[in-house]
Formats: sequence, C-alpha cells, structure tokens
Amino acid sequence: MTTQAEALSAPQAAAGSGQGLLSWVMTVDHKRIGIMYLITATAFFVAGGILALLMRTQLAQPNATVLSNAAYNEIFTMHGTTMIFLAIMPLGAGFGNYFVPLMIGARDMAFPKLNALSYWLYLFGGLFLFSSFVFGGAPDAGWFAYAPLTEKLYSINHGMDYWGLSVLMLGTATTIGSINFVVTTIQMRAPGMSFTRMPMFVWMTFVTSVIAIFALPSLTTATLLLLLDRLVGTHFYNVSAGGSALLWQHLFWFFGHPEVYIMILPAMGLISEVIPVFSRKPLFGFMTVVYSGIAIGILGFTVWAHHMFATGMAIGALLFFSANSFIIGVPTGVKIFSWLATMWGGKLSFKTPLLFAIGFVALFTIGGLDGVHMAVLPVDWQITDTYYVVSHIHYVLFGGAIFGLFSAMFYWFPKMSGRQLSETLGKWQFWLMFAGMNLTFFPMHMLGLLGMPRRIYTYADGLGWGIWNLIETVGAYLVALGILFFLINFFRTMASPPTNEADPWDAFTLEWKASSPPAPYNFAEIPSVRSRRPLWDEKYPDKADWKQGE
Amino acid sequence: MTASTASPARFRPGSTAKVGLLTVIASEIFFFATALSAYFFLRLEHPEWSLPAQTPTGLLIPSLNTLLLLASALVIRQAQRAIAADRTKMAQMALGLTFVLGLIFIGGQVFDFSQSGLKPDDAAFGGIFMALIAFHAFHVLAGMVYLGITFARALLGDFSANHHTSITLCAWFWYFVVAVWLTLFGALYLV
Repeated sequence: MTTQAEALSAPQAAAGSGQGLLSWVMTVDHKRIGIMYLITATAFFVAGGILALLMRTQLAQPNATVLSNAAYNEIFTMHGTTMIFLAIMPLGAGFGNYFVPLMIGARDMAFPKLNALSYWLYLFGGLFLFSSFVFGGAPDAGWFAYAPLTEKLYSINHGMDYWGLSVLMLGTATTIGSINFVVTTIQMRAPGMSFTRMPMFVWMTFVTSVIAIFALPSLTTATLLLLLDRLVGTHFYNVSAGGSALLWQHLFWFFGHPEVYIMILPAMGLISEVIPVFSRKPLFGFMTVVYSGIAIGILGFTVWAHHMFATGMAIGALLFFSANSFIIGVPTGVKIFSWLATMWGGKLSFKTPLLFAIGFVALFTIGGLDGVHMAVLPVDWQITDTYYVVSHIHYVLFGGAIFGLFSAMFYWFPKMSGRQLSETLGKWQFWLMFAGMNLTFFPMHMLGLLGMPRRIYTYADGLGWGIWNLIETVGAYLVALGILFFLINFFRTMASPPTNEADPWDAFTLEWKASSPPAPYNFAEIPSVRSRRPLWDEKYPDKADWKQGE
Repeated sequence: MTASTASPARFRPGSTAKVGLLTVIASEIFFFATALSAYFFLRLEHPEWSLPAQTPTGLLIPSLNTLLLLASALVIRQAQRAIAADRTKMAQMALGLTFVLGLIFIGGQVFDFSQSGLKPDDAAFGGIFMALIAFHAFHVLAGMVYLGITFARALLGDFSANHHTSITLCAWFWYFVVAVWLTLFGALYLV
C-alpha cells in the first residue's frame, strides 16, 4: 500500500502542488479544480444576484423607468440562466469535485484530465454567454426559452444563438463531469467503503450525476434543433411550416424537471452531512434517505409535463402528470422527517453550518408544499405564469439549494483553506439572508394570487401590487447585504494566518482525516472502512459504530 | 459491497475505462431517444407525411448501407477475437477493414442525400429527417476517428492478448453506432 502511495503521489505532486497562476491553469488535481469551480460559480452567483437587484429596483414602484422593457427581458433571461447553469449546478459540482474523492478515501477522480476539461468548458461557456451583453445583445426569451419566441422571426439579435451555444457547452461540461462522478463512485472507493457505507453527499452526487447523464441529452437535442432553426433555416418549432412549438416544451422540460433535482439533491446530501455532525448523532434512517433520493431521481423523469398543464393536453395526460407530481412529494417528505429525527434528541450545536441547514429544511418545506399545490390542476391553471410560480422556484432553489450550499461552505471551509470563517459574520449573514429571502419571496404568493404575471417589466398604479413589490425589493437588498457579509468574511479569513486544524467539528467522515488543506495525494495511506462513520470509529474506538453492529 | 473484498476496486484502469465508456453510451442512447421522440412527435401531428420516406433510389442505398454496417460489426468482432488469441496481424487487418466499411457507409449516405432532393429548410419533415441522419453520421465519423487511432496503435504494436482494452472499447462504441443505425433505418425507412 505504501509503495502504491509513493508511486502515485510523485507525479500528482508535480502536477498539482506548485504555486503561481500557471500551476492552477495546468492542474488536474480534483481539489484545485473544485476550488476553481467554487470561486467561478460564486462570481457568477454574485453577477446573477446583481441582475436580480436590477429587476427588484425596477419593480419597487409602479411605472418605474430604471430599465427599459427590452433590457428587462435580457436581464431576467440572464438571471435565470446564470443562477441555474453557472451558479447552483457548478457550486454542487465544485463541492463534489473537492469532497467526493476525499469522502470515499480516493486520491483523485477517475479521470483527472476530463475533470479539468469540464471545468474549462464551464468557464468558457459562462464567459461566452456573458459576452453577449457586449457583442450584439443578450438572450431575451426567458431561461426556458419557449418557442416560437426564440425563433429568428421574434428574436432577431444574436442573443439566442449565444444562449444555445453556451448551453451546449455547459451541458457538455456537466455530462463529462457527471460521467466522472459516476465512474469515480463505482471504481475508486476505499476498501470497505461499500455502497451502504458511502456518505450521503457522495450518494446524492452519484444520483444527481446519473440523472444528469440521462436528462441533459434532451436539452442537447432541443438546443441543437433550435440552433438549426435559427442558423440553417429548418422549421422544427415553426408551426406554419409543419413544426411544433410544443415540441420545444416537451424536450426542454424532459430535461428541465430532472434539472430541478440535479440542483437540489446535492444540497440535500450536503445538509445530510452537516445535520448529523452538529447534532452528534448518525443520520436517522440512512438507507431510507438513500432510497428516497433514488426514488426522486426516477420519478423526476415522469413529471415534466406538469410545467405544461396550461397548454391543453389530453385529460389522461393531465391526470398522469398530476398524480406523479403528488407522488414525488412523498420521498421528499421522507427526507425532511429524516433530518428532523436526526436533530431530535441530539446535542445541537448552533454553528453557522447548522443554521443554514435548518434554514434549508424550513424554507425547502415551504417551497415543496407550494409545489404540491401546483400539482392540483385547477390551482395550476389559476396561477400559471404568475408570481406564485416565481415564489415556489425561489423557495426551493434559493431557500433550498443556496442555503444548503452555504451550509457546506461554512462546514468545509476549514478543510479547503485551513482557516475557519468568522461565526459572528456567518450568523449575521444567515439571519440577513433568512429574513431577506422571506421578505422577498413570500409576498410573491400574494402577488400571484392577485394575478400579477411574471416577467412584466412594470405595472400600473392602483392594482394593489405596489406595497408587496416594495417589501420584496427591501428583502432583496437585505439578501444582498447578507452576501456582502459573506464576501467580507471570506476575504478577512483568507488574510488571516491558517490554523490548519484537521478536524475542527469533531466530524465523522474521511475528508476530515486528511490534513487541512489536504496534501495533493489526499491520504498517505488509503484508509479502510468498517462503518458509515469511519473517522468516528478511529477517534472513539470504544464507541465505534461497527462494534454496535450496523 | 464490491470494495469490501480483499482486492479493492481501485487501481484497475481497464475496468474504469469500460465503466466510463458504458456511461457515455448510456447518455448517447438518451440523446438519440429524445431526437427520435421529436421525429415521432412531429410525425403524429402530420398524418399527411408520405411515409416511409421516399428517395429516388428507394430503399436500395439505405439497405446496402445497413448490410455494410452489419458486416463491419462482424469484422470488428473478429478484431477482438484475433487480439485475444494474440493474432496481431489479423486484428490490424480487421480494424483497418472496419474503418474502410465506415468510410463507404458515409459515402453512401452523402450520395443518397445528394439524390434525395430533401432540403433542411423546405418543411419540418426534411429538417428532422436530415438532422437524425446527420446526428448519426457524426457518430460514425467519431467512431472512425476512434478506429483510426486504434488501428494506428495496432500497427505500432501497442496491443497483445493481455493488453487490448482500447480495441474492446472501440468495438463497443462501433456496436453502438451500428445499433443506432438499425433503429434509425427501421424508424425512418420501414415503419
């Protein structure tokens, strides 16, 4: 084993441990690639947030003139596309890159060079998309890019071409990355790390990757056909020439709904690591959480047309997709009860990671219940394309995914940097974001029920919408203040000397066995695993899990 | 489960590459499945399409091309068998022949379409028909690049009975390309 370690560490050290910009550009070390993912995605997250603030500023008052209608269309399209493809997905991929190999006791991903390729495709796909602002106009047909609005006839600048090409690049990056995660998880686990002992974050990244491998091809097909329509002159989505606008919706949502789970499952995995450590208990119902994750992954492919209830489908199809949309709520509910049962009776330590994890559970539950409302056909017909839907997606993806990702950021920052983020600033950030997020997104329920459509750049006075919109804008700035606290916290912490504590939270899983930050080869000796909490076993041999029986 | 045995699942580059390629193929199957779904979706909306597709040559060239690809699958299977028995000359010849058969197939496709009179922009039908054929043709070309590299490596003596994962992987990808064509042939020309 030691000889293997020496043989493997030498070339890896050469490739991944130098200093200077070039050593980062050339790196194939999963940890460096993970950090590049996280930094890039955070930058795009801030950019997408600024776009959101512009929208909220425009909508704060009726008849405002901060943005023109054309600019507003570009900004909401770029906000959605950025947050989904350039922020949330790559943040999950960043943590996955850094921590999946460490958590399964491996030295790197299965295909380190492909790993670097997927990062660079992601970066250039994102930069290419944003370059549209400078060269000829940003895309302006919404992040789900409904035909025929995206056709050359209605979207005459090159924005949608930028959108299509960058989505192809980003989709390729995600597919390559997902293949890498799947093969790594199957092939690279340390001795004794059976599937039933694999950490929940690894499990959820694995399930997410499988979903991505099967869902993204549909987006690729849809986008290729769109680009052919726009650039070659085919008529796939042009009804007057024998095409079909609904074809886009089916192809897009066959990707788009599983995509929701691609974004949320990694965050569910993240808080399933955090909650047990800060409750001092193992995760309650471990395999049940695994099975519900797999169930979500499979059911996620059978609900896509619930995004299309208002398109006039046959009654049988409506009932099928409505029923499945109710059913998918069940495995999601199972997970929520698992997290609550893990905390129940635990010795809770309310550090920032746990606060964000509890925030996830609370806010995601609200968003999830909104989702169940919309499985009811008449309710969906009433609120389709209103702010109610906007509220739902943000409770799930901001309250859910982003809170889960911040929980992981605070939890794993000491491992990645050897330094601990300030708890004081972290708690300020949490409460600002928690209050701000609810102020921003809860009134959208009311606006939706009052009939305010989404994606309008302004509204008339006297509709009763003004006060809710003003509250939302205040909330959005509170969220922004919270993010500012995070950035200050980040730079202050990075300017301080490292403590290099290997295991500051007294945690359970293998990544904390490595030094902080880990050596390029991660583990001098590949660890062997006898339970779900290998590090706990090592630290507390008398109370080791494998002695209690699994 | 697997890793708890004495010999860990790590450090087996052969099988890692195999799992990787199978994952790629799984994703590609979904790509063609969604593209074919788009075809059938449009076709159901347009009962007036004259089907199966008519080209001036009729089924002649598509059928010949089908036979050609089926033959190529048998030939590359020979390459796998030969290298497993350490008959490197035979393996080289089989890989080269597979490449040539792929090249003839592409030539046939190009000829058939230059005769067909279909244009991508005349209506949705011409577009989806050509898109499916083109998506497949790009995969044939990718397979030929893969074959070309493997053939060159075989000429340089890279492979032996104990060391020929690349030939196996190349063959798997080629079988996938052939299987996709059989599906397209059935969907576009027969039903």
